[in-house]
Amino acid sequence: MSTKVIDISINEVTKEFATGIFKKKMAVDKLTLDIPRGQIVGLLGANGSGKSTTIKMILGFLKPTHGQIFVCNQPAGTRQSRSLIGYLPENPRFQKFLRGEYILNYYGRLYGLGGKQLTQQTDHMLDLVGLKHARDERVGGYSKGMTQRLAIAQALMNKPKLLIFDEPMSGLDPLGRMEIRDLIRAIHDGMPETTIFFSTHILSDVEALCSSVALLKKGVLKTACEINQLMVQDGQFFSIVVTGLNQTLENKYRAEHGAATTSLGLSFNVESVDMLTARLSEISRAGGTIVSVNTQRRGLEEILFSDRKNVNFQFPQQAAGGA
Amino acid sequence: MNSLRIAWVAIQELLHEKVSYLLIGFALFSLAMSMVFGQMTYGEQAKLTLDFMLGATQLSMLLFSIFMGISLFQKELSMGSISMILSKPISRASFLLGKYLGQICMQFLITWMMGLMTCLFCLRFGSGSFSAAAVFQTVTLIAWEAAIITAVTYAFAVNSGAVVTSLGAASIFFIGHGRDTVSSNLKETSDLIVWNSAKTVLPDLEIFNMKALASYSQSIEWNEFFLASCYGTVCVAFYLSLAVLFFSRRDIAT
Repeated sequence: MSTKVIDISINEVTKEFATGIFKKKMAVDKLTLDIPRGQIVGLLGANGSGKSTTIKMILGFLKPTHGQIFVCNQPAGTRQSRSLIGYLPENPRFQKFLRGEYILNYYGRLYGLGGKQLTQQTDHMLDLVGLKHARDERVGGYSKGMTQRLAIAQALMNKPKLLIFDEPMSGLDPLGRMEIRDLIRAIHDGMPETTIFFSTHILSDVEALCSSVALLKKGVLKTACEINQLMVQDGQFFSIVVTGLNQTLENKYRAEHGAATTSLGLSFNVESVDMLTARLSEISRAGGTIVSVNTQRRGLEEILFSDRKNVNFQFPQQAAGGA
Repeated sequence: MNSLRIAWVAIQELLHEKVSYLLIGFALFSLAMSMVFGQMTYGEQAKLTLDFMLGATQLSMLLFSIFMGISLFQKELSMGSISMILSKPISRASFLLGKYLGQICMQFLITWMMGLMTCLFCLRFGSGSFSAAAVFQTVTLIAWEAAIITAVTYAFAVNSGAVVTSLGAASIFFIGHGRDTVSSNLKETSDLIVWNSAKTVLPDLEIFNMKALASYSQSIEWNEFFLASCYGTVCVAFYLSLAVLFFSRRDIAT
């Protein structure tokens, strides 16, 4: 039996949106997901897969059509549950005339902070996100990266138990993305008990940051597991290069493993250790020479989207005789 | 307390909003035009100028209440900054109330400023029959009327777009001033039943209209003024409650 403390519990949640008088669109379909405390969990999916809808239901902005969500054992959307959450929306925007420090004070006060505690927390957050130098500047003059960091700081003002980031790296340049990644890591290191739940469609961010991942596809949960587990289960394979095989065996490997001739010899991949052992002994028996055996790992993209249908994008044909 | 914090930011927002200055500019321009047109009339110049100036104040506040109501609320929705505020442990009612308080503080201030300008003009150019108390009562009641229209605007804005909101709020303004006209033109019993039912939820804005009295330098009794203010408070509470009810139930997808 698991003894993990669950911070977000999503039970059979469905969300439908009315798109016409009699038309409805299913955004999230019977989603069940538990997010344990202290982890960085990535909610992965393409645009329109239901990531933001799920996050908005956790925050209480959207009411589930069916099912229930609990945040630290409190029903989602209640003031008690929101007092435990720090939220960074996708593309955060502030009133341009407000100054960085004022914004943190304002949001801190909305969390119920005041006096010395508020001043200290504001200073600490400005320091953490590297905006001390810009504390008195109007946010209208901030760059996108600075705005994003300020938005992260406002989410941290209440020292939350749960941090929810909606596409935190979206729209940032590579340097900005790296900064936000480092910041998320620093937050996790400094507040190890805080759960960080973020949505993204950028797989490298998930690989770099998350301990667990949940994949949504058209509102349906496809996978939810620890990344390491996913990598061991589905991500590992062995690459064999061999020479001196007889034609029968070569044809067999071409047919079964898609073997191809390379400059080093016949190269093919096998998925499991058992298969690797079987093939190696088979090659030895047949008098072949094993040039190399390498353990390989698939990228997360390859694993998660292995069932993706290929889409062939084609330019429209030019009309005959056209210029 | 959270409402007051939101109100303070809303006031700053209004002070930085270009539309505010456009509307204030319009108010000043219409006051100036009232002076000009008043002087161009034959006889009763002071009374007509005063009447025009109070009419200009009312029109300016109507525009301010509708357009700034839409701007304050819907801008927050379209910018998405509402999600950062509502993710904090504050109720949607506090948010709405804060925005509303901020806006009506500005509206009362602007109305009184316009009233002051009207008084100064009357003192300088008017005849001796001008009553400052009557002008004060009139502009304060105009501010109450604007407060009701602002609440109506919020009730529409939480569920509709800018066009529907402005049309809805303007309609309530005109119906609120034309209740007696509508009543006198209805003959059918069934129409009267429907109209009388509708009247229970539509504000009677003629209660706040004492421009004609003020232009004749007549004020109303202070207890009557107090009762009108109480009626304004009840109307505001009713429409704001509707706004809160709609807002609490709606999905926020931004």
